[in-house]
Amino acid sequence: MIFHEMEASRIASGIRDGEFTARDVVGDCLARMQALEPVLNALITPLSEKAIAKAESIDKAVSSGKSPGPLGGVPVVVKDNMCTRGVRTTCGSRILGDWKPPYDATVIELLEKAGAVVIGKSNMDEFAMGSSTEHSAFGPASNPRDTDRVPGGSSGGSAASVAAGYVPIALGSDTGGSIRQPAAFCGVHGLKPTYGLVSRWGLVAFASSLDQIGPFARSVSDMALVMDVIASYDHKDSTCRPGGRPVFSESIKEPSVKGKKVGIVREFQNGTLDGDIERSIENTASMLSSSGAEIVDISLPESAAYGLPCYYIIAPAEASSNLARFDGVRYGLREEAPDLISQFLRTRSAGFGEEVQRRILTGTFALSSGYYDAYYLLALKVRRRICVEFTQAFEAADVILMPATPSLPFRKGEFIDDPISMYMSDVFTLPVNLAGLPGMTVSTGMNASGLPLSVQIVAPRWADSRLLEFAAVIEAWAGRPGISSGGVL
Amino acid sequence: MDLSFETVIGLEVHVQLATESKLFCSCPTAYIGTEPNTNVCPACLGLPGSLPSLNRRALELGVKAALALDCSVNAMTRFHRKNYFYPDLPKAFQVSQYDIPLAVSGSMPIFLEGRVKNINITRLHLEEDAGKLVHKTADGRLSGASFSLVDYNRGGVPLAEIVSEPELSSPEEAREYVLTIRRLVRYLEVSDGDMESGSLRVDANISQKCSDGRWGSRVEIKNVNSVRAMERALEYEIIRQREILLNGEEIVQETRHWDDGAGVTRSSRSKEEAHDYRYFPEPDLPPIKIDEELVKYIGCSLPELPWDRRERYIREWGLSQADSVSLSENQDVALYLEKTVAFGADRQLAANWVRTYILRLQNETGVAINDLAVGPEDLASLLVHVKQGSLSSTAAKDVLGIMFALGVKVGAAMEKSGISAGGVSRDALFETVARILEANPAETGVIIAGGDTAVRKRKYLMGLVMKEIRGQAAGEEVSAAFDAVLGSIRDRSL
Repeated sequence: MIFHEMEASRIASGIRDGEFTARDVVGDCLARMQALEPVLNALITPLSEKAIAKAESIDKAVSSGKSPGPLGGVPVVVKDNMCTRGVRTTCGSRILGDWKPPYDATVIELLEKAGAVVIGKSNMDEFAMGSSTEHSAFGPASNPRDTDRVPGGSSGGSAASVAAGYVPIALGSDTGGSIRQPAAFCGVHGLKPTYGLVSRWGLVAFASSLDQIGPFARSVSDMALVMDVIASYDHKDSTCRPGGRPVFSESIKEPSVKGKKVGIVREFQNGTLDGDIERSIENTASMLSSSGAEIVDISLPESAAYGLPCYYIIAPAEASSNLARFDGVRYGLREEAPDLISQFLRTRSAGFGEEVQRRILTGTFALSSGYYDAYYLLALKVRRRICVEFTQAFEAADVILMPATPSLPFRKGEFIDDPISMYMSDVFTLPVNLAGLPGMTVSTGMNASGLPLSVQIVAPRWADSRLLEFAAVIEAWAGRPGISSGGVL
Repeated sequence: MDLSFETVIGLEVHVQLATESKLFCSCPTAYIGTEPNTNVCPACLGLPGSLPSLNRRALELGVKAALALDCSVNAMTRFHRKNYFYPDLPKAFQVSQYDIPLAVSGSMPIFLEGRVKNINITRLHLEEDAGKLVHKTADGRLSGASFSLVDYNRGGVPLAEIVSEPELSSPEEAREYVLTIRRLVRYLEVSDGDMESGSLRVDANISQKCSDGRWGSRVEIKNVNSVRAMERALEYEIIRQREILLNGEEIVQETRHWDDGAGVTRSSRSKEEAHDYRYFPEPDLPPIKIDEELVKYIGCSLPELPWDRRERYIREWGLSQADSVSLSENQDVALYLEKTVAFGADRQLAANWVRTYILRLQNETGVAINDLAVGPEDLASLLVHVKQGSLSSTAAKDVLGIMFALGVKVGAAMEKSGISAGGVSRDALFETVARILEANPAETGVIIAGGDTAVRKRKYLMGLVMKEIRGQAAGEEVSAAFDAVLGSIRDRSL
């Protein structure tokens, strides 16, 4: 059986029912990974031996009549900015060196408890800063749909792992589009949940008020399955919303958009949008309309005009503080120097890549005395207005339908020396983070040249299950994304 | 022209809150005498991926101190990050408060030579402590080290920073202010207030106002590790600043470190120098709504404050300044005293005895006042005898000693010591007085002749009587017996 093409739900039920073993599934996925990894470089740290041991323990549990958990035996990949006890966690940076966290991130604990088998930690832009996975100290990753192109970023390795069939599901983190943009580039589904739905404990912070962990999958039902595992209150994250969570797999059982209002953002239909993506939005809108939804026009002028600059003040400002702890004193890289200040300077100059240094400098500037009001404080005010604008938009619409990215996946090296153009890649995703909303990239197939198409749907806070319901309707129409080997196999 | 100066001092007092666990994680707060880097976790070590969770108990203790200082507690408060690099600060920022502290606008009375001065409190905010750097050479000496060690056990311990308005005008006032805060936090059990161990730390801001209208720049003094050191540092700084102004020069606005050994302040070129802390709201901690009910509850359960109690002892009880201070300093002591009075003891008598004997017993034995074998009721019944005159002070002291040593009540203790209340009969007393007078004819003669104008001889003889009867009669009783016997001697000799 070709396990690496299977959905997670199918794998889990097959193992649970004794139809096949976790060892077989994991073996097949590891073989797939080993075959493609030389080309894709989607993983920073493969965990083959650990994965096999875990698979065997799952099989043992099954044969002794124990439930292996909802994700029992399902291979998964997690982004390398999530702490894994005793396993190197690099954030795609040199500065963490060989640091092995003494603790697991909450999402890792939850995945493990549900029986998932972590087969590797995925490649990423350093500290999640970037949109191409080219800013990785471990070399760029490739897009399995076209290996000359980038997989997007920063969670490019996770998106590529799912698109290439290493795993049916993977976790990424999304600060300004780092799940949804690579999902769009790699042709898989990617969900950024509402800020506060999934615990951030153990996620190495980029911008704390924007970061959120979420899944990649090749089917909406797998997406729901993993959300049921990871969306859980955690007292260790003070920004995590207390209380219960919806059962996501229930919300997609009989998906319907009948009578729902779908908002189309006119400001986002401008000239810079790729024609194929624009058509994908239009086609999705007419399908939803013929399925009983009502299409309405909405307006998000503040997000369109100020979202990007607002984001590029707040995110670097928080990052400049979050990344200050990497000083070579306690862990990670240390460049020895005769005095303390020189040691700080040398360590940080050697350990951080160019893009990270750029953002630390930008953020430090924005928070500096004399500039705080003009930059950081102003950005906070704009952020407030963007939140209000979305709240008003959701008075007219149940979900917003918009592009995930302005362009199809670009070529490697295309924007590596042009940070502003690279930043533009997140222009449609980052307002969603600023407002703390759930947003999802739903794959809608391929264009004529075989490059992935997608739409982004956005819902009000805590309406994540509504997104999954819409995604299920779109998936039923556009089809589930398949896997690609990037021409290697 | 003769110039004169006014000194302006404002203090920032850091108080370590008496919580079991740290401000943002569940690690124990114990850091003195613990193996370095054992009371730590990912959160207080600031490991990548860790997040803070606020300790509610620290918030409550902060509210308690704030209400006692008559501050308004903000309905909503939030934390900020104060960013700077230093090896004792594992996240390279300190979580503190900035624009919306826990509480603002309070005041506290300090007592100065019989005069009361209200010092306004600007704010009280919460923040986490840093770790501790240890500079140690390979052979264990602490100087000339080529490397430093860092212990994060203290990192994340909760502190309340209490900032005064610049309203203190002398080192003595500053001293009284710090002592009053220390008494308060101990009294409220908000902190152990121990300056030597660092549970209470003071930074002082001091400037000079010259009679010619010039204002000297403000200088911050750090590294004062005792009240005495603070006073000395302020005294030194006053002289230094006045000399500069007298020379027509400008005072540099800066942070200076007190060198206790050398007795001078030195300009600091370390981490505090010209810093831009880039404060911004801590995104990992949402703003905190402070429950109005909680504030009300804490407010209602506040005990009578030490300065109010002290005033009451002076005004209503007529106690001396000294008695009032020492008896109102500690809540348990004050309650012991008040219970003793409630059980019938005279106020002044109870105050004397608690201050003189009970506090001494507490100090000598190390037993907390509430656990002493002699409770307020026992002391009260003893003091009732003293007041009635059926026991002299001397005898009562012996009885108290027995009560304490054997853990028995007054009656049993008196029996044990062979003393009984109103112990000597009238006849026995008269007989003793007569015997003493006869045995000391010279003194007796002078008294009868009216030559003992200074009553010295009478006192001497009465002392002998007291000794003889082991204090088992009140002074007035003995005196009366004296008069009677002397009268009869006089009658006989006529």
